[in-house]
Amino acid sequence: MKRMMNNLKVVLLGMLIACGLHAIAFAANVPSGPMPEATEEFVEKGRGIYFQRCSFCHGLLGDGEGPAAKYLDPRPRDFTLGTFKFRTTESGELPTDLDLFRTVSRGLSGTAMQSFDSDLIKNGLSELERWQVISYIKTFAAEFEDPELDPVATNKVISLPANRAPYDEETIARGKQVFERAKCWSCHGKLGRGDGNKEFRKDDWGFTIRIRNVTHPWKIKAGSEIEDIYMRFTSGISGTPMPSFVKSLNEEDRWDLANYIKSLQHKLTSHQALRVKLVDVELPEDPADAIWENAEPMDMRLAGQVVAPPRWQNPSIEMVTIQAVYNDKDIAFKLTWDDPFMDIVHDETQEFDPVELAKVGGFNSYVETIDMIPRKLETLRDSIALQFPVKAPSGTKKPHFYRGSSSEQVHLLVWKADQASVGERGTQEGNARGWKQPIKAQADDSQQVTGKAKWDQGRWTLVMKRPLTTDDRNDVQFKPGIFIPMSLNAWDGSNGEHGLIMSLSTWHYVFLETSTPVSVYINSLLAFLIVGGLGLWLMRKTIKGKQDEEAGA
Amino acid sequence: MNKKIIGTFPMVVIVLVAVYGLAKWGIPAFSRQVTTLPFPLPVPGTLMFFYMTLTVIALFLMVTFSEDGLSDFLRPIKKLLAGGYGKVLRAIVLLAIPLVAGWQTYDMTVPRAQVPASLRIQHPSSNFPVAMEALSNPFEKPGEDQITEFIEQAKANEVSFIQQVQDDIDAWAEENDPDHVLEFFAVESTKKLLAEIDAGEVSQETAKAALHEKYLFEGRALYAMNCRPCHGDSVAGDGPMADGFKLRPINFTDNGTIETIVEGYTFWRVTNGGPGLPTEATPWDSAMPEWKLSLSEDERWKIILAEYNLAQKTPRIPEGH
Repeated sequence: MKRMMNNLKVVLLGMLIACGLHAIAFAANVPSGPMPEATEEFVEKGRGIYFQRCSFCHGLLGDGEGPAAKYLDPRPRDFTLGTFKFRTTESGELPTDLDLFRTVSRGLSGTAMQSFDSDLIKNGLSELERWQVISYIKTFAAEFEDPELDPVATNKVISLPANRAPYDEETIARGKQVFERAKCWSCHGKLGRGDGNKEFRKDDWGFTIRIRNVTHPWKIKAGSEIEDIYMRFTSGISGTPMPSFVKSLNEEDRWDLANYIKSLQHKLTSHQALRVKLVDVELPEDPADAIWENAEPMDMRLAGQVVAPPRWQNPSIEMVTIQAVYNDKDIAFKLTWDDPFMDIVHDETQEFDPVELAKVGGFNSYVETIDMIPRKLETLRDSIALQFPVKAPSGTKKPHFYRGSSSEQVHLLVWKADQASVGERGTQEGNARGWKQPIKAQADDSQQVTGKAKWDQGRWTLVMKRPLTTDDRNDVQFKPGIFIPMSLNAWDGSNGEHGLIMSLSTWHYVFLETSTPVSVYINSLLAFLIVGGLGLWLMRKTIKGKQDEEAGA
Repeated sequence: MNKKIIGTFPMVVIVLVAVYGLAKWGIPAFSRQVTTLPFPLPVPGTLMFFYMTLTVIALFLMVTFSEDGLSDFLRPIKKLLAGGYGKVLRAIVLLAIPLVAGWQTYDMTVPRAQVPASLRIQHPSSNFPVAMEALSNPFEKPGEDQITEFIEQAKANEVSFIQQVQDDIDAWAEENDPDHVLEFFAVESTKKLLAEIDAGEVSQETAKAALHEKYLFEGRALYAMNCRPCHGDSVAGDGPMADGFKLRPINFTDNGTIETIVEGYTFWRVTNGGPGLPTEATPWDSAMPEWKLSLSEDERWKIILAEYNLAQKTPRIPEGH
């Protein structure tokens, strides 16, 4: 017994230690101590790590011009200028060692800069290795050698407010007032979708800036928690138009504002099948119709088109929310996605010819962000397409999500922003057999899809409506009670997207809900009656038996 | 008659509830202790049915073993039906049981739409050409003539690189004006090679290691340009685009991925991508490109070299045939 108790103690102790280690692992973007002294040997170790892990984006010279850099937006940091975006220091100051440690450890969400924390990823860098590579990165900018610019020694470090109001309705409401007062909307838009400016802005390096849509937390680079958000408008983001609000807003205001920004963050749905309800009214083409308030939404995530050249890794549209309703004749889909600019013209002469990117053993099959495609306003159109297999799938078999294949045809409902505005059909039905040929529009007499789109406050909403079933062999047929695969292609014109330079989703499903057959109710009622009758019969039998017994006695 | 602590009927009920509870919650809870996995292993429905049937048979045998046992078991039921526990309770029970039966029938027959499951098959290989199994990475073990050629190039300071890294190396060389182009290699074997070149005597071993480093450098650059957007610079399947795909990109640092397959298989997967998969592996959901349409064979092998190195894994050795 005593031995058992001892064993139990050992087990409990082990569990406690395991929990403790777990806590440490989560706190790993805070190092256990300050940066060790940067001896020559220490820095040389850092150079080795930089050469193996960092140089391909940031360049052998630390100038942000590595072989992968031309294809990235945002571009890799140029370390030679000593300008760092994500700091906990006052506006224009250098970052602290801890700031650099945090960025290397956590990475920058939504960018090519990923976490290097060995507690988070198996082949990451240990704390010591992270310090070594940071010591090397600091050698690229002379500013780090000047003691007068040391933000710690000169007391330029910002800390979080001592009193942090809780995240609740009151602070959020106050934060909203701060948002109005500080004119955050002039860049970020009234609803925070990054649509405040009517044109692109550039950063200090001359690169086009995409103003943050603060409602998409997965794109908020230096962290989407309240503390991170607070730090961004407290320190400002060096090299960009994002200023520090230290002078115009007090600590409390900034904390409230951070709470408000947090409250704007979209919470993604996680289901893969869109359930469509049957209604008995005429289906609307208006995206603002009240019917949409009751239709279940499904968020579809999209990635850049990287399956075949021209590959594109800087997609603008990364999430589309979809809803649908159907009646006895038609089905209507509503698509909602954020896009800061309404691009309703299309100049075909600006389209990119990807022939060089499609060669085996060519330089690269990805599209460069600056020289290859026009990423400017009033050049290329916004567009979106819903894709379905033409034939209802048997088993799990489907066409490839990237436009099917020569044997498996897909059907697309395509909407183009420019065509509606010039009086053409805005929505069109088309077919594809693989990505090698463009989508082929169906003949005029087969066109049955209609639609209406609206752009407001940095957001497109679009309704596409079509008869449930058609006589066309090349059309998807919407039958209730089966899971029909569905995916998306999307183009943001001012992001240079057109043709195969686009974002796309993999297969999800759409499911038209059926009403329960009457037989189910009849069967349930029968079961109830039979079992109930059996019970009553037993009761009567028992009572009768008892009476007989008593009479007999 | 022996005085029993508990009647037969309540005992039967308790045993049934206990067995059901054990199979439904007990075994899954215990499985977590045994497997230490973060999720329980549920008892499959058919096995559950089997357990319950066995329990019922055992209880039936026990109850009907003697006349006394049976009447002991039936007594509370008869008492209830006769109204011995009160008419209200009898009415409740007589209504509740048919209601449960009706609800169960509804639950079993109502059409319920299940999203079609898509299982991910690891290393689908039903159409993997056997001839490719024995392929080995030409850059893993360079031949003697390759090494000799590299030594000549290194001595003459004329080492050539793939076109993709050339601009960055040129920029570095212009800035630093080095004695030797290989000086940007911050690894021991290359430093040793440069020292040996200065000393005038280059060993085959040193050159081989330095050449391997050169191939790795090129492979890492190609990986960063081509594969990183999905598989991530950590090779953990967590690139910036990973969230956009239903089948997440493979995590190469995971045990059970690239270290359990031969290099020839990795090459085959990189070469033919999603469309090259057999039907059972749902090629229509895979975003893996057919890299043979974009990358040369050498480029693909160099990427594979770097991929294993970054993941700190080694491929499985092909078995002799």
